[in-house]
Amino acid sequence: MSIYKKLIAAIFFMAIVLWPSFAMAEEKEELHFFWQIGCPHCAKEEIFLEGIEEKYGDYLEIKRYEISREPENIKLLQQFGKDLGVDIKGVPFTVVGEEYFVGYLSDETTGSDIEAAILDILGVDGPPAKDKSKIDLPLFGQIDTKTMSLPIITIIIGILDGFNPCAMWTLLFLISLLLGMKDRRRMWVLGVTFIVASAAVYFLFMAAWLNLILLLGFIIWIRILIGLVALGGGAWNLKKYFKNPDAGCEVTGDEKRRRVFDRLKEITQKKNFWLAFVGIIALAFAVNLVEAICSAGLPAVYTQLLVLNDLATWQYYAYILLYIFFFMIDDLLIFIIAMVTLKMTGVSTKYSRFSNLIGGALMIIIGLLLLFKPEWLMFG
Amino acid sequence: MKVLKFGAVWCPGCLIMKPRWAEIEKENSWLETEYFEYDDNMDKVKEYEVGNVLPVFIFLDKDGKELTRLKGEKDKKDILELLKKYKDN
Repeated sequence: MSIYKKLIAAIFFMAIVLWPSFAMAEEKEELHFFWQIGCPHCAKEEIFLEGIEEKYGDYLEIKRYEISREPENIKLLQQFGKDLGVDIKGVPFTVVGEEYFVGYLSDETTGSDIEAAILDILGVDGPPAKDKSKIDLPLFGQIDTKTMSLPIITIIIGILDGFNPCAMWTLLFLISLLLGMKDRRRMWVLGVTFIVASAAVYFLFMAAWLNLILLLGFIIWIRILIGLVALGGGAWNLKKYFKNPDAGCEVTGDEKRRRVFDRLKEITQKKNFWLAFVGIIALAFAVNLVEAICSAGLPAVYTQLLVLNDLATWQYYAYILLYIFFFMIDDLLIFIIAMVTLKMTGVSTKYSRFSNLIGGALMIIIGLLLLFKPEWLMFG
Repeated sequence: MKVLKFGAVWCPGCLIMKPRWAEIEKENSWLETEYFEYDDNMDKVKEYEVGNVLPVFIFLDKDGKELTRLKGEKDKKDILELLKKYKDN
């Protein structure tokens, strides 16, 4: 083979090997981004995609499709769903090559996955992303500031909700009856059963809220509605704070209170322990279901906050459990102190008054953010 | 003088006030007080127009006429001041 033939063969071989790279430079790969106006997760992903565009703009084209104003884009989204074999329930929905991403949690999670898929279709390796949200603190070690905000707000709202007097009066009724008993073991078991059953009702109530919001969560009106509920609830709490300067207990529902008290008396005095045990669970369910309406505001707002943060299913329930633990902590303390000292103890109504003030202000802030800046409520 | 105390077992603020009053009564043996459980004494609740915020403490003179009343959680100091003021009524 002459030197010229060898040269032509080498060029031909290299052209075949390098063809994809040349092709990449000429024909850009595509990323399809389906989004909707007013969708906070879409807004978050849009900021991420702008960074991606700067980084890979020479090789990648980002195609954006807004679905609330352009019916054709919905058709296209459905077509993508059909082609990819996925039942698309909402946006943001992102397609990179043959990979797709439903929702958008954070730059470190969904964003990182999207970037990996981009690098995959471009056939290059990228530098590892630097995470600026992690800080080193003495004693605590490395803390991720982004993931810390949600647990903190969970604890704050849980405690504020716990001071709600709606849920406490039945427990105090029960303690007053239990203190008259001689059997201390029975006192502890019935009291703890009542508190655990109350927590279970609250858990079911919040889980129901969560699933309802998850089901309807992609509809912008639900977020707006809950934002308005938060504003209304906040105003109501503030009104209660200013209307009750004496820090007293408000007397409401005389008949209901009488009925519950008689029923509790009947149950705790049952000779058969198991009848009393089952009776106390049933009563805890009945009373707390009714009282749940009284404190519907904070749990509804909180579950919307959870949905905004687009967590894994187990995380939603773990956060609800954390919320309920702090919600019940004041009840638990009152019960334990009463059982140990054998005296009735209350929590100063001054605290519940301040919980009205702080809770009211917090609900108004969250309400305004839900309406106008929902992306600020995404901590993950 | 006499003090009528209205409270309820389900009212946290009333429970807070109980030991406070116990101390006051111990330190002022001349003082006559009477406690009414809200749910068990509706006739007295109506008679003295207790209202819908508990606890309520009604200070009466020796003829049973109302001198003043306190509502909600109050500091021991505030109660002692009132007692001093109305002691001879």
